[in-house]
Amino acid sequence: MKLALASSSASVEEARKQPAIQVSNLSIVFDTNRGQNIAVDRVSFDVAPGEFVCIVGPSGCGKSTVLNTIAGLEVPFEGDILVEGAPVYSPRPDVGMVFQQPHLFPWKSVRRNIAHGPRMLGRSRAEANAIADDLIAMVGLTRFADAYPNTLSGGMQQRVAIARALANQPRVLLMDEPFGALDAQTRAVMQDNLLALRDRIKATIVFVTHDIDEAIVLADRVLIMSAGPGRILREVAVKLPRPRSSSVMLEPAYLALKKDCLDVIRAEGLRAFNRSEAN
Amino acid sequence: MAVRTDGRARRPDSVRLRRVNILVGALSLPLFVCLWELVSRSGAVNMVLFPPPTVVATAVLEWIRSGQFFGDLLASLFRVTTGFIMGGALGILLGVLTGQFPVISSLLSPLFHILRPIPPIAFVPIVILWFGLSEAGKLFLVVWGVFFTVWLSTHIGVQKVDRGLIRAALMLGTPRRQMLQEIVLLGALPYIVVGLRTAVSISFYTLVAAELAGAFAGIVYRIEIAQQNLQTGQVMGGLAALGLISFVADRLFAALAERLVWWR
Repeated sequence: MKLALASSSASVEEARKQPAIQVSNLSIVFDTNRGQNIAVDRVSFDVAPGEFVCIVGPSGCGKSTVLNTIAGLEVPFEGDILVEGAPVYSPRPDVGMVFQQPHLFPWKSVRRNIAHGPRMLGRSRAEANAIADDLIAMVGLTRFADAYPNTLSGGMQQRVAIARALANQPRVLLMDEPFGALDAQTRAVMQDNLLALRDRIKATIVFVTHDIDEAIVLADRVLIMSAGPGRILREVAVKLPRPRSSSVMLEPAYLALKKDCLDVIRAEGLRAFNRSEAN
Repeated sequence: MAVRTDGRARRPDSVRLRRVNILVGALSLPLFVCLWELVSRSGAVNMVLFPPPTVVATAVLEWIRSGQFFGDLLASLFRVTTGFIMGGALGILLGVLTGQFPVISSLLSPLFHILRPIPPIAFVPIVILWFGLSEAGKLFLVVWGVFFTVWLSTHIGVQKVDRGLIRAALMLGTPRRQMLQEIVLLGALPYIVVGLRTAVSISFYTLVAAELAGAFAGIVYRIEIAQQNLQTGQVMGGLAALGLISFVADRLFAALAERLVWWR
């Protein structure tokens, strides 16, 4: 009995040690009319279960491509991606995604949009609607449950998109610059919402952004990428206390972290500039 | 204060202008009919060839009283609606197939693009050879006219479905075989509806060709018979009836279209 207990707790320990996402030696190459373009060059990183990782980098550094590959929407040229220990070949319902554009189904009401995922996984309409209504309440859109997407503001649409991605209770939530198209005020509110939401869901989150502030406010760990070809330059652990809100940006610890990140980015920018001057 | 008086002065002006416009709009048709009546009766034109509205109205009343009108109306409406539904259904079906599957598109699109620009009227001679004066030949012409418009708009609509919606649907676990009904058809619906609306007027246009080619009843058939008897009033009445019917059909379809694309 004691032995069985020990072994089961060992397997729990094992499961805890296993990363939620393992990206190893990922390269992505695009064919262009000027030959092959290496978008992502041998990128490796792990994400622990429940961790919130932000990938920051300039546009064109391949950060969205990395995310799409984890999602199974793009096929790696080389390298492996494991989510929950299983390789990714195509989109999986245990991996949710929020895109830069909300991409809501315009012909479905807010409730039906969110209920879509559970319906596709075989839930009854009543079950799916119940899941949707819970999530609608969680993102604070109860008044708009029957509204159509084109009547909602950009921020509200993106909240629906987040709720929709959570409806299948994904183990991993991928977010591709979800607040990039929003104005500054809405974006700050959305960041606070996401931080509050994050404490209630257990999903592992990988969040792509080009905004260093957004990355530090949200993440447990920030991966800084460089462009041409995309590589990971530096990992920065964000040991700011949780629960967190965007007001953390005024703390000295925050500013020190930001300085670290900016130094890395500036050095890389200079290197890229000198290289292009030399050519 | 100056700004306010300016605003106060301007607003009644625009209201008055709008009222004048409505009044002029309401007078447009009566004025035109009166002018027509005057010109016809002035002796400047041949009244037999250019009868006044009163004569046209008498001819239409006589047409209705004789009982022929409803027979003609039913015959024409049957051809238009049956041809529209058949051509529309075929167009949507093949448009979805060519829009969704590149192989089918490669097979059929070149053929369709060659056949599409040929005006349906040009098929009247061969339709008479194939079908004689039967109803099948008339339906063929209407179906032919409707099909290509609906096919092309459906094809384009299916191809223009937002890739982002498809990616979002994939991430939510939508099976690929359900993508058509869940995303593609609805995404293409606004285009399909526009194609169908254009096809409404095309179906009337091909109806004219079909009935002129030889028929035994129908609005356009009646116009042709009246022309041969020099009943110009009846000819004009037929034209007015045709215009009215296709106007009503277009309005009805516009109202239907609003409901079909319910999320707009």
